[in-house]
Amino acid sequence: MPLLIDSAPDCIVHREGATPADDSLDFILQDRYADCAGFGTFMPGSTYGEDGSSAETLYYILTWLGIVVTVLVLIAWIVYENRQLVGHVTRLSRRPAGPDDPPPPQPGI
Amino acid sequence: MLDFVIAQVDNLQDAAPLEGLTRDSIILGEQYYFFTVVLMWLIHVGFMTYEAGVVRRKNVMATAMKNILTIAVVTPTFYYIGWWVYGCNQPGFPPITPNSTDFSVLQCQSGIPWADSFGPNLTNNINLVFFLAFLLFSWTTASIMSGALLERVRLSAYLVLACLLGSVVWILDAAWGWSAGGWMTVRFGFHDSIASGVVHGVAGAFTLGVLFNLGPRIGKYTRDGLARAFRPHDLHRTLLGLMLIFTGFYAFYAACLVISSTAFPGWANIYLSPTTLGTIAMIITFGFAGGFTGGYFASRGDPFWTVSGGLAGVISVSAGADVYAPTLGYLIAMASAAMVVYAGNWIEKKMRVDDVVGAVAVHGVAGFLGVLWVGVFAAGYPTGINNVDSSLWGQLLGIATFLPLGFLTGWFASWVLKKLNLLRVPPEVELEGLDVVEYHQDLYLPEVAVVSERLIEPDGTIVEADAVIAEAHSEVIRR
Repeated sequence: MPLLIDSAPDCIVHREGATPADDSLDFILQDRYADCAGFGTFMPGSTYGEDGSSAETLYYILTWLGIVVTVLVLIAWIVYENRQLVGHVTRLSRRPAGPDDPPPPQPGI
Repeated sequence: MLDFVIAQVDNLQDAAPLEGLTRDSIILGEQYYFFTVVLMWLIHVGFMTYEAGVVRRKNVMATAMKNILTIAVVTPTFYYIGWWVYGCNQPGFPPITPNSTDFSVLQCQSGIPWADSFGPNLTNNINLVFFLAFLLFSWTTASIMSGALLERVRLSAYLVLACLLGSVVWILDAAWGWSAGGWMTVRFGFHDSIASGVVHGVAGAFTLGVLFNLGPRIGKYTRDGLARAFRPHDLHRTLLGLMLIFTGFYAFYAACLVISSTAFPGWANIYLSPTTLGTIAMIITFGFAGGFTGGYFASRGDPFWTVSGGLAGVISVSAGADVYAPTLGYLIAMASAAMVVYAGNWIEKKMRVDDVVGAVAVHGVAGFLGVLWVGVFAAGYPTGINNVDSSLWGQLLGIATFLPLGFLTGWFASWVLKKLNLLRVPPEVELEGLDVVEYHQDLYLPEVAVVSERLIEPDGTIVEADAVIAEAHSEVIRR
């Protein structure tokens, strides 16, 4: 099957087609990762000792996307709640007041 | 029999290659931190339960949601910022630890969000679980603040403040004073092994700064400035929450240790000085025992302060939990819990600061007392990679650093939110209850009867709350 997005790092060995399973320990997938340290999606697949120095453009973009989303979520929370609270107070103030009006509903203890 | 077991273990060690032993040790560490993370969730469950019990019924859902959503915002911000703050700021600003440069560089590399070891990595089993342990500390730090602000703070304002406290402020002071290479440690021997001041003290100071801007709940104080008491809607739930927090605290303490099973003595504190798991577990337990006792007698048997006294007791012995003798821990906790009860009442009645759960006293006062006690009772212990002895002056320096760091950041951030009118819910909403306005429902099923709310006046009389609160609300509206 063709890959829609190949997000695996280059250190992972790909082989075409299905490989027949056998009874030896080698059938497990670990030999495909033999050259890998970091193996996450869009990560460069570096080897040990290169921490922090091996990010690739795609992984930078992914990380910054997360940072931007986090900031936007916080802003959205502020805006949404503010609208909700202000809207509620506005609705209360539009209600005609009268001497026999009951106090605002309170669930109590 | 014992000789046989020892001989078998020796045989196994002879047979196992050194590389295999090291790998086993690393994976043991990975599992260890993983399970501390799982158990530390109980702290958060406890905070939610505790706070939901403390509030009035009309604010239960809003309180629980606030605690849950702490996880939603502190997790990503701590990932993107917090671990970098911890790893890359240990030399201080400006850097004053030339001797720890190599150590700091190594720490810094693994804290950058796009670092190779900060994601799926086959050659680093520790960084992610260690990060997660710190993340749970961050949730805890933010939750310490949450209880104090209940029933009137906006959810969004709290979440912004939680990000600041949980992902920047506390972890910055941890970089300075809660790491083997931090400038306070390597220069001054600052010693706070289980984070009395680093987590609790700073969170308490930050909370106090926020409370100054937030103000009290409507009706909390009379016109003469005397404090009324709002009764918890479910005190049993509050006590249950505290007990859950206590359970999780054992994991919190355990996660503050460094495990290295192939090197003597197998355990080290956060400064890489030797200790044992048993040592800190003993001190927690004796801290609870002393704290409950001190809280009970100082409050004359008040259930809230008795149990809070246990928490205060543990916090007050945390800084020296790696070295204290059990009896010393017991006595320190008892005395500190008693002091915290008095401090809590003073903050409420004299300072007129409406701290719903007494967080400033229980965490802030007990936390800084804990830092101080190390200087008095545990001076002379080599601390950090420079092996500088702990001392009273080093501890005072820590307090002088952490207290303003926490207070000023909390005060300034909440001041900005207040100026933008984003800190507090409108008085109409506070009166009606946050649950109905923000979540469009009362948490309880219709068949659970609504009981009219009561409060305790300063002279001790219990009165119907509606009239008192409505009058106070009218005064607020007029102002």
